[in-house]
Amino acid sequence: MLLIQFLNALQFSMTLFLLAVGLTIIFGLMKIVNLAHGSLYMIGAYLGLSICNYTDSFWLALIVAPLLTALIGAILYYLLFRHIQNADPMKQVLLTFGLIYISLDSVRLLWGTMSHSISAPDILSNSILLINEPYPSYRLFVIAIGLIVLFTLYIILEKTKIGAKVRASVDDPETAQLLQINTDKILFYTFALGCGLAGLAGITVAPILGVEPGMDMEVLVLTLIVVVVGGPGSLKGAIIGSLLIGFVDSFGKVYIPQLAQIIIYAVMALTILFRPDGLYKR
Amino acid sequence: MRAVNHNPQLRSQLFFLLLFSAIIANIFGGYFTRFFVAEIVILSIFAISLDFIASRGGMVSLGHAMFLGIGAYTTAILSLNYGISPFASTFLTFITACLIGLIIAYFIVLLDGIFFIMVTLALGEMFNSWVFTSDYLGGSDGISGIMRPDLAFIGIDTNSPLIFTFYVLLWLIGIYYLLIKITDAPLGRNLDAIRQNSNRISAIGGYTRAYKAIAFSLSAGIASVAGSLYVQLNGFISPELTHWTVSGEGLIMIIVGGIGSISGAILGATVVHIVQHELSSIINWWMLVIGFGFIFIVLFMKDGLWGLLEKIQKKLR
Amino acid sequence: MSLSLNNIDKSFGSIKVLNNVNIQSHGRECLGIIGPNGAGKSTLFKVISGNLKQDKGDIYFNSLNINNLNINKRARLGISQSFQKNSLFLEMTVKESIMLALSHKYKITFKMLNSLINNKAINNDAIEIAKDTGLLDYFDTKSDNLSYGLQRQLELGIAISCSPKLLLLDEPTAGMSPAETKEIIKLIKKLSAKYSIIIVEHDMDVIYELANRIYVLDRGTLIFEGDAKSVKNSELVQNKYLGI
Repeated sequence: MLLIQFLNALQFSMTLFLLAVGLTIIFGLMKIVNLAHGSLYMIGAYLGLSICNYTDSFWLALIVAPLLTALIGAILYYLLFRHIQNADPMKQVLLTFGLIYISLDSVRLLWGTMSHSISAPDILSNSILLINEPYPSYRLFVIAIGLIVLFTLYIILEKTKIGAKVRASVDDPETAQLLQINTDKILFYTFALGCGLAGLAGITVAPILGVEPGMDMEVLVLTLIVVVVGGPGSLKGAIIGSLLIGFVDSFGKVYIPQLAQIIIYAVMALTILFRPDGLYKR
Repeated sequence: MRAVNHNPQLRSQLFFLLLFSAIIANIFGGYFTRFFVAEIVILSIFAISLDFIASRGGMVSLGHAMFLGIGAYTTAILSLNYGISPFASTFLTFITACLIGLIIAYFIVLLDGIFFIMVTLALGEMFNSWVFTSDYLGGSDGISGIMRPDLAFIGIDTNSPLIFTFYVLLWLIGIYYLLIKITDAPLGRNLDAIRQNSNRISAIGGYTRAYKAIAFSLSAGIASVAGSLYVQLNGFISPELTHWTVSGEGLIMIIVGGIGSISGAILGATVVHIVQHELSSIINWWMLVIGFGFIFIVLFMKDGLWGLLEKIQKKLR
Repeated sequence: MSLSLNNIDKSFGSIKVLNNVNIQSHGRECLGIIGPNGAGKSTLFKVISGNLKQDKGDIYFNSLNINNLNINKRARLGISQSFQKNSLFLEMTVKESIMLALSHKYKITFKMLNSLINNKAINNDAIEIAKDTGLLDYFDTKSDNLSYGLQRQLELGIAISCSPKLLLLDEPTAGMSPAETKEIIKLIKKLSAKYSIIIVEHDMDVIYELANRIYVLDRGTLIFEGDAKSVKNSELVQNKYLGI
């Protein structure tokens, strides 16, 4: 039983991670808090839903939905976000709030207000026996995706030239500009990547949680908390933060439902007070 | 972030215009119109509270719905469980919210802009979760049966929509004048300066943390008055009032109206509430339209409707 | 007024920016701190004003150890600074900015109900300061609309509003044309009759004109101290600055 809960928590953490990592790098690079990040998660799920319905292939949806979401992110960057980088917080809040409204109604117009479901592909629709307990293999798959993304990002950030440029731009944007690390391009690709990861989170989680309007809000606050606690701009912070919050939330809901939410917010409040740069400063 | 004050003349002109319109609508309108006007007045008070800290101290709060909730729930509990008159409860919630606001403010006012927003968001959500799950506060059903102030002893029946709307208007007028005084006083000016350049205020020996904390505390109190009046208007409170999107909508009102002029906040609340109401009765996808509207305003009308009015005023000279 | 910096060390990572710096200033004087780029002048300035904390060493101001006091507290003790990059209240007029600064001197910043602008005493004081800093003609101009030189003058105006015991000036002539520089020098000369001043400057000619006494900083270490004449004649200083 404990193992089951552990794995559930891990799966939830991985989903949070996919969302948080995009948000944190965008925040570290552009000092933008994209409140509409949850909307991208939702859009990814809906796009995946349609692709699944038209092509009967979950795998196709898994690949194409995040790409489409990344494309939407790229368009949003080009049209809107690059104008409000480093702009005052009020502007960002309102702009992204507007995007939340627009995405919510768009989704309702295009797909209706009912909730939908996507079935996991046949290969992953069974359960695997782990220490005599059956566990849905799809959830293991979600965990695997999260780990693959973590590993890939780690390699990119730490071992490649472009990764070094991203890290430089997060650490010291002025110097990076002076060194002509072409930060505009980096911002563009990173933003699109972050959005794509949000979309990936949406489609991977859809077979478990379903697809419905309102799913954008459910994850938003927790994701923001992960970013704040883990430290904006830090990959390490994103994964540690996701695990911390993911586990507290999952175990909390089971054992101490009344207190779980409060504990999470308290963790965030304490982090802000005593380690305002987050647990892992970039 | 720019504030659009420094034009006291336009500020009062706009205020009187809006006040006059509200009075006319209240006298000649039917039941629904009067209710609607009262709602606008209460939303204006909420908007003013957000405007105050945004323009004085540069603090953008996504958690202020929490103080709406504190105002509403405290009034509900005081009047239902302890028999305190709703009128007195409004004052008591003001004090309570100011104190709670002060304590919170001590910890958070020195945070950088984005962090401040995130912390207020999280604090607001904390309150929201608590309220949803608390049995004492009625959980997801909320509390109902709250009465309006009993002014029978001076022959006034606050259950009449006409009277109650005038009652909330009086609160608005009081808050308006209080804030004008504060805006032009040393504290208000220092707060305005902090929004523009908080480092310099530190460098000339200002008590930045204290000023901002006082502003936040006052703002919390004012928001709680809005909450208290809201629960008296409707007779019930449900926890949805404390969701962060309510705070977000408040921020939208002040940017539509124009930040920093108090009257702008009232104008913003009026316009947004009317547009939202009218639009939602015509089309289902009104959020889509409003969403585009926000983005348009943020990008192209930084000074909101106030900015527009100022330009018109200049042209008429 | 007395200021003592004793054995100040400051490093950023592995780079030692200030190395055993000792500075004394007593009574009213105009003290200059010069050095080539990268000498640590900016850092030293920030350590005195409270923007940075030193790693080692003590700072005494009027016999009080101010090591652990932040900018606000030091300002209240009488240490006022003007910034290298203009730090103004751009939406406020000259009059409003100075009156705001004066509200701190008059200790009325917590007052919530009386208008600041209508305060007669502060109004008169503000006019005096505007006169002293050559801004009287621009009293009602928005700070944003002032020329760069005038903005620098306002920068000084705000700094002296609190009647400081010690005025710290960080590269006051930065970015100025020769004509503007002349104006500022005249202004600072006037101010040095009233206030104790420490100027950190890059432009040696400016310092020669203004300072009674000069400290020369090179790569974090004080290499010379003396009046303008002895600094000019010092071979050591010439070597470091001009590489002769």
